[in-house]
Amino acid sequence: MAFLFMFGLAVLLSSPARAAQDNPTKFDDVVLRAAAARDQNDVPQAIELYRQAVELKPDWPDGWWFLGSLQYSIDAYAPARDALTHYLELTPDAGPAAALRGLCEFEIGEYSQSLKDVQRGLSLGAGNQSRNEKILRYHEALLLTRTGNFEGALQKYALFAQDKVPNPELLVAVGLAGLRTPLMPKELKADQQELYAAVGKAALRYLAGDRDGAQQEFQQLFQRYPAQANLHYLYGYLLFPTDPDQGTVEFKKELDVAPANAAAQMMVAWDALIRNAPAEALAYAQKAMAEEPTMPIAQLVLGRALLDTGDAKGGTELLEKELQHDPDNLETHIALAKAYSKTGRKEDARRERMRCLELEKNENAVVHP
Amino acid sequence: MRLYILSSLLLVVLFSAMLFPARGLPAQAQARSSTPASACANCHRAQTADQPMTPMGRALMLPGTNPLLKANPKLTVHKGDYTYNVETIGDKTTYSVTDGARTISFPVLWSFGTGGQTWMLERDGELYESLVSYYPTVGGLDTTIGDERITPHTLDEAMGRKLAQGETKACFGCHATNAVHDRKLTLESMEPGVTCEHCHVGTKIHLLDSLQGDFTSAPPKLGKLSSEDISNFCGQCHRTWESVVRGHFHGEINVRFQPYRLANSKCFDGTDPRISCLACHDPHHDVVREDSSYDSKCLACHGSSAHSSSAVQSASAIAPTEPKACPVAKANCVSCHMPKVSLPGGHMKFTDHEIRVVKPGDAYPN
Repeated sequence: MAFLFMFGLAVLLSSPARAAQDNPTKFDDVVLRAAAARDQNDVPQAIELYRQAVELKPDWPDGWWFLGSLQYSIDAYAPARDALTHYLELTPDAGPAAALRGLCEFEIGEYSQSLKDVQRGLSLGAGNQSRNEKILRYHEALLLTRTGNFEGALQKYALFAQDKVPNPELLVAVGLAGLRTPLMPKELKADQQELYAAVGKAALRYLAGDRDGAQQEFQQLFQRYPAQANLHYLYGYLLFPTDPDQGTVEFKKELDVAPANAAAQMMVAWDALIRNAPAEALAYAQKAMAEEPTMPIAQLVLGRALLDTGDAKGGTELLEKELQHDPDNLETHIALAKAYSKTGRKEDARRERMRCLELEKNENAVVHP
Repeated sequence: MRLYILSSLLLVVLFSAMLFPARGLPAQAQARSSTPASACANCHRAQTADQPMTPMGRALMLPGTNPLLKANPKLTVHKGDYTYNVETIGDKTTYSVTDGARTISFPVLWSFGTGGQTWMLERDGELYESLVSYYPTVGGLDTTIGDERITPHTLDEAMGRKLAQGETKACFGCHATNAVHDRKLTLESMEPGVTCEHCHVGTKIHLLDSLQGDFTSAPPKLGKLSSEDISNFCGQCHRTWESVVRGHFHGEINVRFQPYRLANSKCFDGTDPRISCLACHDPHHDVVREDSSYDSKCLACHGSSAHSSSAVQSASAIAPTEPKACPVAKANCVSCHMPKVSLPGGHMKFTDHEIRVVKPGDAYPN
């Protein structure tokens, strides 16, 4: 509700209900009564009156906002989503409304659309207050996990690493992203909660900067769950930005446990690319692509490996495809700059380089392709 | 003549086998023990005559081989609460720091750089970068570049910055030859400075094969790489364009990453040999400091006779638009278009390789 209150305040200040007091009509009367009902916390009555108001005047954006936000507050998520959709048609750049619609879609299981709306809301400033940002980033991370972007989710969870007492659901949520399990915490079986919470705890500890403590926790996990898929991958992923060598050792251990792990193969390939060992990279990238062709970044890593092993045409094709899928991926632009430069497309190469410099300024650290 | 060359090579190989007894080394170490430049000199005299004395050839120096320390046997600086002394007696150099009450000292084992110089120290099995370095422009010591943000609170902290494993490998990997193998620091096989093998991987096999008259295993000719590829090759140490982007190096600090700066130039073309590192620099010789010596390189594109040579003709087929000639001058191009930029905190200037029209008051790009 705090989320709603903060968002609602700005809209209230510009409400036409005040202007209506001087020139009452049927619409104005309904609006005044709706506002009164809302002030008295009579939510069902307020919802009914706002519904009447937007029937009378469908192009009144604030009516749709109040209707949507009040419906959200009583868990009527589908009607709230619809009301906010009307609001957004009239006010397309309203970040809080996009974010709130995303939260409605989250509750009714429309995860893909929810992620788009939450991210759009954030990009339009819906997270400009710390509390709102945490709520939205948490949902974003859950949705990234649910839609298979586990690395993206882990980056978002870094925001919570400094929390003094992380709540149990957060630990499980981080564990789900870490173990690459596309579920919501509530969807996880009860007998798996302990494992996922322990993994989440170790990962958060690492993200909080306690690397020695995290190392101990991970070693305990490796001993207790030696056959657990993605556990070594997670530790490798965390280590990789500061210690790529040790990170890659963990990726290779992951491949001992789970030889078909495409994510681990991809990261070994990526490491080889960074080390200028393209032939090694190509072998791993091809295996990863064969295992999981729809994996995000698969085309990027394979494309880059092809480029660096001399197949500029094949590499460029894959990289351009990847760019359509993920237009703001810095690494894809870097690889394309190289591809164009190698093939004499000077202007295209320069355009890609300049794009990289723009993108790079918005990134804190590049930890993953 | 051929017999003479082969017998000379054989002598050199035998001699190097005495110096570097491969027989006793494990197989991996044998494979990575390097070939002395003197062996290569038998055939590649022009490339090897000067190279060992270039800044790259002396990028890392061992005790007793460091002319800078011999010429400056006692260096002292006060920084905050601490006093640093770098004292050389004979072949031994000692790096000391004191707070007035206590002094700690370490032998200088490795000197990095020939102009500006930083020392690597070893303590309890860990490697440290000296917190002060020598700068020729001040003729003495000052804080090591990049360490200005460190405010030491103890004598131990004042001594130096502990290096992470990755950093250590990066330092030795670029300043020495055969210092890193299979991702591990292999100081037992390390040869100081950038030797032939550093860039021309496979020289040892080539040397042995050539004794049998087989020249097919010669390392690839780096001069045949495209401008893009040679930038990435040199960038392994001088930083590639992409590694600088990933590293988020903004402002004048990135002026020392020449491949990055060059690739940001409007005129950079990854397939045009006139704009490659090797078009202007021969790494086997000292870098040429006279601005005018680069004029012909610039005029190869920006002059009225730009399209006369065959190499240029093939390049111009890719880029048919003739670049503009400079309306101001035809000489000392780099003095305007590649200005010298001071490295923040570094007491040195670097030539900015982002070639451009520089206007007075313009901010440093990127």
